[in-house]
Parts: sequence; structure tokens; C-alpha cells
Amino acid sequence: MASHFSGVLKLTDLDDFITPSQACVKPVKVEKKQGRSVAKIQIEDDGSYFQVDQDGQRQKLEKAKITLNDCLACSGCITSAESVLITQQSHEELYRVLRQNKVSSSEQKVVVVSVSPQSRASLAAHYGLSSSEVARRLTSFLKNLGVHHVFDTGFSRSFSLLESQREFLERFRRKEVDKKALPMLASACPGWICYAEKTHGEFILPYISTTRSPQQMMGSLVKGYFASQKGVSPQQIYHVTVMPCYDKKLEASRPDFYLSKYETREVDCVITSGEVLKMLEEENVSLRDVEVAPLDTMFSNVCGEELLGHAGSGSGGYLHHIYKHAAKQLFGVEVDELTYKTIKNKDFQEVTLEKDGQVLLRFAAVYGFRNIQNLVQKLKRGKSQYHFVEVMACPSGSLNGGGQLKPSSDQTNKELLQQVEELYHGERTSVPEQDSRVAELYQSWLESVGKEIARPLLHTQYHAVEKNTNGLSIKW
Amino acid sequence: MKGALELLQRVSAHPDARCWCVAWSPSGTLLASCGGDCAIKIWGKEGDSWECKCVMADGHQRTVRTVAWSPCGKYLASASFDATTCIWKKTNDDFESLTVLEGHENEVKCVTWAPSGNLLATCSRDKSVWIWEVDEEDEYECVSVVNSHTQDVKHVVWHPTQELLASAGYDNKVCIYKEVDDDWECRATLEGHESTVWSLAFDPEGQRLASCSDDRTVKIWKKSTLGDGESDSSDESWKCVCTLSGFHGRTIYDVAWCRLTGALATACGDDGVRVFKEEDPTVDPEQPVFFMSAHLPKAHGQDVNCVSWNPKEAGLLATCSDNGEFAIWKYNSDS
Repeated sequence: MASHFSGVLKLTDLDDFITPSQACVKPVKVEKKQGRSVAKIQIEDDGSYFQVDQDGQRQKLEKAKITLNDCLACSGCITSAESVLITQQSHEELYRVLRQNKVSSSEQKVVVVSVSPQSRASLAAHYGLSSSEVARRLTSFLKNLGVHHVFDTGFSRSFSLLESQREFLERFRRKEVDKKALPMLASACPGWICYAEKTHGEFILPYISTTRSPQQMMGSLVKGYFASQKGVSPQQIYHVTVMPCYDKKLEASRPDFYLSKYETREVDCVITSGEVLKMLEEENVSLRDVEVAPLDTMFSNVCGEELLGHAGSGSGGYLHHIYKHAAKQLFGVEVDELTYKTIKNKDFQEVTLEKDGQVLLRFAAVYGFRNIQNLVQKLKRGKSQYHFVEVMACPSGSLNGGGQLKPSSDQTNKELLQQVEELYHGERTSVPEQDSRVAELYQSWLESVGKEIARPLLHTQYHAVEKNTNGLSIKW
Repeated sequence: MKGALELLQRVSAHPDARCWCVAWSPSGTLLASCGGDCAIKIWGKEGDSWECKCVMADGHQRTVRTVAWSPCGKYLASASFDATTCIWKKTNDDFESLTVLEGHENEVKCVTWAPSGNLLATCSRDKSVWIWEVDEEDEYECVSVVNSHTQDVKHVVWHPTQELLASAGYDNKVCIYKEVDDDWECRATLEGHESTVWSLAFDPEGQRLASCSDDRTVKIWKKSTLGDGESDSSDESWKCVCTLSGFHGRTIYDVAWCRLTGALATACGDDGVRVFKEEDPTVDPEQPVFFMSAHLPKAHGQDVNCVSWNPKEAGLLATCSDNGEFAIWKYNSDS
């Protein structure tokens, strides 16, 4: 199977993040009986195994069970990290949970699906609908399958944007004292994060924004706030996100996003836009024909029947929001429109704030491996003049992620991308700083739990990854 | 016409290590060698003999696999198994390290300068080919990273006149790259070799490409014109027009096409060096015929890794071997 992960992640070798270990994880305690016990194994017609002793006593043998988690840690077979990850998180897993819900009344899970604006735009282009129309129909389709709530990660993105703005101001203010405060590098892209952890390690990690991505912010919200509001424990919720790429599956499986107290992940399963299309095709349903349903407003960026987006890039708008906020807060400048300057190629753009001939802020959007290379090399040589960089692994950003729907036979990749971009930017925008529902949630949830507990809900950590020289994992 | 190779000098350049590569400077007066001892050595002629002029021993932590001169002769690039490519600047008789290009995941196998002097290409066991650009301030930046090969990439070479790049690898394929919009892409894949393709060389006009392989053959590829004039200018189409088989006893590690005479030299794992010449090329350009003009069975005591024609003096040839030596030869086409 060809790799679906971003070009940046492909080069870093997934196995270094999820590696086979040498030791067996399921050492089994065998009860040893004294004496010479020679037994025969008899296989019945129904496939069950019986152990037959010398004196004719029969004992049914239990089947050995290995969970996928065990599989991940075992070095016995040659399954690569990539295929394990994709099998563990797939639309088939979602179906399994929904089926389980129908069958067992005791082990009911509350199924929540959070859909990203980029995935909505991709489906919208495919079906010739608007982004909001996709949201309403998708809500209906998923609920018919047994999903309980359908949310929009645009909502949790408001939190990411606000928190990023705050983090930037903090870093800017301490830049004289802390040489690694700036440039602040965006962290919403897991392809970029994993590459940074593996290839540049301790050098680059201090620059990376600790603010959680919209996916993981939603993880916090759903398994934290939502769980307590509904009076269920986090492991009773099965949280699925719909994302434009496969790298997000890796992000969801990070140990930092595992709630050890409840033995559950904040995001249980990530499925791509393409996998949602597979689901629709398997059900023999076109999104166009699905009836509309009202949007779940609790964790959605909604206004009436419409979902609202955010200004800025199709990769979340971090540069846009941080720039505007910083210009106002640090220099009292109100920015209406940002002017982007193309530097080396279309995936490397700059925005500068100048006053009286002085450069006050210098921001950049750097997408794709080759540009990331140049950014990091410049940083290493102390030649980077940026205050903030929106870094994304995929050329053209998240709208062009590896999990988005492919073009039809009479359309080029370029044409489809343009269409997706238009639909994405077709949504009306909301300003996170002025969003009363977000402010309300901040108050009622985060401020009520106090700073100590709030911080890990909004922020995360990074870890330098050692290059794996285990003979098993070297690919020749 | 029977030719011959005459030994001019044998030099123990990298004692107790392999000598991987030899490269003539554009002026033809200096020879750079590199090897398993992690060093690069520059050789110049003093009277009748080649003497060591300079040693760069601290540039790399591991084997230096390829050295390449810039078209102007002022810079030398070295590709190493330590995953870096070093750019050296020549000042008088000395070389100083200008910058180190990082980025490849593991061993860099080859480095080559474009004729314009502004672009550089490297390739690695990490299966990727990187294209770098150098600006007026001697700053190097990555322009593109292309992943067309499915295995270790052994060699990269630029077209002599156009901005076109070719690469060869362990996946038995040859890839041709061109810049489309603002990115480099593989525009053609040449298949036909039955094993690793070790090296490539364009003919002096850039009309044909020679490839040599572990399958013991040399193939000559020619760019085919797309018949009806409706060709998309980005499309590349190359056809194999000649295969030289039955001449080499083992893997052919290197091939070099002389800019001055059009002679083709090969470096072989059977310790031999061979020179091929083309028969009357006007007979059928689509089906060229090459004959073996000279063959020196035991040119070195071990595998011959590299062969390089002097760019200014016709018939002057340098080769190097696993036994750490390089040798300078004079090739005469009639003897």
C-alpha cells in the first residue's frame, strides 16, 4: 500500500515513533505440573482444541488473545507502524463501535464525531454543495448510523487561535531574556511536529508553540468538559475526528494525549475525508440525497443554519490571527488586510508590519518539506528574522492534505484544490476574540478548574525522538 | 581501429582505504580524489609527476563518496556517508570549508554542479534527490526534494546544456527531472536495466545518455522527438538505442563520455578499464554501434570505482580503485 502520510512524515520514518520492541509484551505464566505429563492435542470438528491426558481426561483449551495494543509493541511480525496505525483508526473501527452499541446495552458508548472545516470543504467540492450544506447532511448521515453528536473543530480552533495569540504575546515580551522565545513556530501540523522531534530534536523544540491543535483541543473539550456535563466518564465516550490527512492519526495516538487515569485517548479515532466518502459509498448513499438535520450547536462554530469559519489560510489562519492581535496589542496598529509577499515559491510567503521605516513584525507562512528545510537551516545559523512562522508539512497547506478527496477524471489536482479553497473561504468568518460562547466556556470551564489544571488542557509538550538503530527497523 | 591505454602514473592516494572518486578540475590541471579515509586530496602536476597539493581531512566524519568541481573551478563539493555535503572554496592553493549542506537522512552518494553554476544536485540512500540553489552571497538553499526512486539513489548528473537532471539507482531505474512551475518533477523513467544502475553520462551534445549497471551492460538512451509536433514542452521521452553487453565480466561502476573525442570509458568490478568508440554515426543515428577500442584487464589490483576524462587534454584519463590508488592513463585511439 502506498504511503498516505505527508511527504515530511514519510521521510522521517514512522517506525521511530511507534517502534517494535525487543521483549515480548505478553509473557504468559504457565502452570507447570510435576511429573511426566504427556498430553495429546485433539482438534474437534468445530475447531475447538482439547488437551487429552494420559488417563483420557479432556480439557478445553482457551484461545490466545492479542489486542492491537499488544501488537504494536511486539517485535514478532513485520507489520509496520504505518499499517498498525491505519488499522487501529479507520472507519471500520467506528462501525465496530456503533455495532457494539446496538448489540450490548450494558457497554454503551457515547459516540461523538468532530468534523474539520477542511474535510467539509473537500466533501463540498465533491458533491457540489456548500460547506454548511455538507455539515447538515453529514450530521444526518452520521446520526442515522448511531452517532450521538456531530461537532465542528472550527469551534475548538477558536480556542487554539486565542491561546496561540496569548502565547505569542508572552513570548514576544520575554524575547530579550529568552533567546529561544522567538520565532514562535506553529504546532497544529503533526507532520511538522514529528519531523521536528525526530530530525532536529532539542534544538528546535523550544521554538514550537505549545498550544494544542484544534483536534486535540476538541479532545480536551469532549473528554473533559463534555463528559462532566453529560455525567459520563471519559472512557464511555468514543471520540472520532474527521481530518484532511493521515498524519492526524499519529497525533491522536501520542502518549501526551492519553488520559491514563481513565485509560482512554482524548481522540479515539481519526478518519480522513476520503474514509468518510468510503462510508457513504458503502452505504450506497450520496450526500446530496441525504436529508438535512439541524447542527449540534454545543461545540460548533455556528450561526443559525450556517457554520462559520475563520479568516486567514486554509490551514487554520494562525498567521492571520496572531499577526492582527499582536499588531494591536503590542503596537496599537489596527490591521484590516494582510499583504502577503511570495518569497521563493508560492508555499513561502511573508507579511511584515512596518512603521516609520522600521520593521515591527515579520511573519511567514512556510509550507512543504523543501521550505521547512530552508527555514530550519536558517534558524540553525542564526539567520532567521521572523517572529512567527505558520509551518505546514503539505504544499498548499491542509486543504491539500493526503486524506482529502481525489479529483474526478476530468479535473486536475490544481483545479480541484482551487475549488476546495473557494468553498472553504466561502464560509462567513467569526472573530475568536469576539465569540461570546467561547468566552463563556473559558470562564465556566477553564477558569473554574484553575490555572494548574487548565494549562495541560490547552497546551502540550514535545519530545526529541532518538533515531532508531534497532536492526529490525532498518529498511535496506 | 585498435586503441591502447598507457599507464602514466599510479598513486597510492588513500592508503588502507577505498579510493571512491577522482575528478578533474575544469582547467584540467588539478585532480581531486576522495575515499574511505574520510579525506579529500588535491593533486597537481609538478614536472612529470602528480603530487599532493592539499589535504582536507576534517571535513567529514565518514567516507567521502564523490567530489565535484563547480564549472568555474573555484568551488569543490564533497558528498559523504556522514549524510552531509560540504562546499569548499579554493583560495590560492588552499581549500576552506564554506558551508555544510544538511538534510539527507543518511549516506549522500553523489553531488554534481549544473553547467550554470547556480544549481547543485545531491542524492542519497534515503531514496531522495535534492536540488539546491546558490545565490550571490554564497548561500545555499534547498529548491526541491524529489522522491521518484524506490531505493538508494547512486548517481546524479546534469545535462551539459539544458536545465535537466538525471538520476540512477538501486531500483534499476533512471529518472529524468525538469522544473515545472516552481518545483522539480520526474518527467521520465527509463527502465531496461536488470539490476542497479550505478552511473550515468551524457554525450557532449546532450542528445544521448549512457548508463552502466550491475547487470554488466552499458545502455545508450536517446531522447525521442514526439512525432506530430504537438508535444507538451514538459514531456520527456527517452528510448534505449543501444546495449553494450558481453564486454564486462562484473558490475560496471562508472561510465564517462569524453567531451573532446566522444569516447566512452568504463570502470569495472573485474578490475578492468575499457574504452568504447562509436562507429560511423551517420549510418543510423537511431541505432548507434559502439566497438571496444581498448581494454586493460588489470588496470588496478581491485574493483575500479570511477573513471574520468580530462576536460582539456584529449585522451588523458584518470581511474581509481578499492585498493586506495588512482592512476593516470593516456588513451591512443590507433596504436
